[in-house]
Amino acid sequence: MKILVPVKRVVDYNVKVRIKPDGSGVDIANVKMSMNPFDEIAVEEAIRLREKGIATEVVAVSCGIAACQETLRNALALGADRAILVETDAELQPLAVAKLLKALVDKEAPRLVILGKQAIDDDANQTGQMLAGLLGWAQATSASKVEIAAADAAEMTVKREIDGGLETMQVKLPAIITTDLRLNEPRYATLPNIMKAKKKPLDTVKPDALGVDVTPRLATLKVAEPAKRRGGGKVADVQELVAKLRNEAKVI
Amino acid sequence: MTICQKSPEVEALTRSLRRFIETELHPVEHTIETMQGPPDEFIRPLRDKARALGFYAMNMPAEVGGGGLGTAEMCFAEEQIGRTSPVLIRQVFGQVYLMLMACKGAQRERYLLPTVRGERNCCIAITEPNAGSDAASITTTAEPRGEGFIINGLKHFISDGDRADYAIVMAVTDKAKRVKGGITAFLVDKNTPGFTVGAAQNMMGQHGVRHVELHFTDCYVGPEQVLGEVGQGFPMMLASVSRVRLAQIGARAVGMAGRLLDLCAAYATERTQFGKKIGEFQMIQQMLADTATEMFAARTMVMGTAANVDAGIDCREQVSMVKLFASEMVNRAADRAVQIFGGMGVCQEAPVERFFRDARVFRIYDGTSEIHRARIATVLMRDGQGPLGLE
Ligand SMILES: Cc1cc2nc3c(=O)[nH]c(=O)nc-3n(C[C@H](O)[C@H](O)[C@H](O)COP(=O)(O)OP(=O)(O)OC[C@H]3O[C@@H](n4cnc5c(N)ncnc54)[C@H](O)[C@@H]3O)c2cc1C
Repeated sequence: MKILVPVKRVVDYNVKVRIKPDGSGVDIANVKMSMNPFDEIAVEEAIRLREKGIATEVVAVSCGIAACQETLRNALALGADRAILVETDAELQPLAVAKLLKALVDKEAPRLVILGKQAIDDDANQTGQMLAGLLGWAQATSASKVEIAAADAAEMTVKREIDGGLETMQVKLPAIITTDLRLNEPRYATLPNIMKAKKKPLDTVKPDALGVDVTPRLATLKVAEPAKRRGGGKVADVQELVAKLRNEAKVI
Repeated sequence: MTICQKSPEVEALTRSLRRFIETELHPVEHTIETMQGPPDEFIRPLRDKARALGFYAMNMPAEVGGGGLGTAEMCFAEEQIGRTSPVLIRQVFGQVYLMLMACKGAQRERYLLPTVRGERNCCIAITEPNAGSDAASITTTAEPRGEGFIINGLKHFISDGDRADYAIVMAVTDKAKRVKGGITAFLVDKNTPGFTVGAAQNMMGQHGVRHVELHFTDCYVGPEQVLGEVGQGFPMMLASVSRVRLAQIGARAVGMAGRLLDLCAAYATERTQFGKKIGEFQMIQQMLADTATEMFAARTMVMGTAANVDAGIDCREQVSMVKLFASEMVNRAADRAVQIFGGMGVCQEAPVERFFRDARVFRIYDGTSEIHRARIATVLMRDGQGPLGLE
């Protein structure tokens, strides 16, 4: 089976982000960018499935500006077989990305799409679910273990960490998986694979060619820093505590 | 495109290396420092991991099993490698001398290929107690005997001389000619009769790399042990010296400065005195800014010169300037780092004092600062600014 793995270019997780002075978003000028960590886990899982003989081909996809090629090259260096860039300078919201991915699924006919459960920039946690909805496919979100018995299996088993335990699901294929942190530990890209990645195909398409309108449906009104944590204080007794909670914090 | 722009491949490589170094090597730096020469059992698993990832002997050509990186690519990789300790660098990523490419016939299977595979360790023995900067004045001799040579002499300060399975030894084969065709490189196996490893010479830094004397007493080597041609030891060494200096001193110094700068920036934003982060004091800010600026200068020099080497331009004097500047830069960076850390800067609980000790020898080996300055000034006065890349 073919596996499609969407990967997003995001601000590196080590970077302390700053808000733009006009409050319109996060300032990403001159900031280190990386592959979304959950997507790295998705790439790793897909490659493992190929190494086990379950998958035949792993196709990485990224939607966004030309620089997303770098993220795709990284996926190729980790072991993806080829890559597709849906190139656009437009702001992309989860629904638009899900529609672009649906169009690609229609073209590429994978039996499995593995996405990160969320991107660490907007933390939306929507694209995988929306894609499943658009395709009418089964979905297993926040997966911490994936088992597929054979390349032509009709179903797979997915474990998810939920409040208070592990949920085990039987999922019909074709399906969508979104990855949780503990699904696997992504490998290091090896030098020979990095050099081989140079020769792997990376195709570019435009949203228009896929017949998708990516116009944003949501408007961002304001982006603000979280309130600064104020220092604590000591109270002498319960009366003072209750008085402070009532008069200062106004929570009781 | 700036000269410090990485190709997508180099970007992927440096990211992967960075993660490997931070995950696998940073946690063992302190342990290895205290081992005074880590045992093989400790090194093997790390080296095997690096080898499996293609991170071993990246400087060597791909056709002999190396990484096949160009000079600029190697410098980007070495920048990352410079972010860990010199012991780990040698043992995990390999100290494989480009000069080994001169191996011919059976020498390739015996020396070159297993060394690139990380199965055999090598050391290089040039320096003698009475011949340091003036390497041409070595007195170790190799006199013809039968088909081969008899080596007599004493080498010292030989890095990893005790760990090496064989040594590349420079010896005089023609006293009259010396550097002009009278010095030959020999491959001498450990346990060759007449070759013994002498006393350890403990150094202020780079603990864990052992430096030793090597003694040669009527040590017979056959003609098949000559590396390259008889009399061509020096030209052969000089042929690869630019690449080695740029990558192993220039780029590593930049990497080490980068690691120090990260440590300093973090400390300056954490440590509080007089109710303020010490990073709010302008005198601390000055130190941070100076290191960042000098590191940028060194980095630009390294990458610009590496691009020249890749273009086939002979820029030996530029390499001298890079070696001089980068090695002195990282020492100033280490000195400031100690100052920013205060007492913690000289205390072994923090890594800064280790870098301070490790960095010092950058100004001494591979040509002391004075030797490079002398070379730069001589060329300037003789040939003008052209060869220095200033025109
Ligand atoms: C940690 C370490 C590892 C080493 N590893 C190796 C190794 O693996 N293999 C190997 O062969 N060697 C090795 N060496 C030796 C190293 O290459 C020499 O130490 C170096 O070349 C300097 O020689 P020297 O120590 O004899 O100093 P000297 O040459 O005696 O220099 C003493 C001082 O005189 C100055 N000086 C000398 N000549 C001039 C001049 N013409 N003009 C101005 N000033 C001058 C020098 O700059 C220095 O300040 C190592 C050394 C160290 C410290």
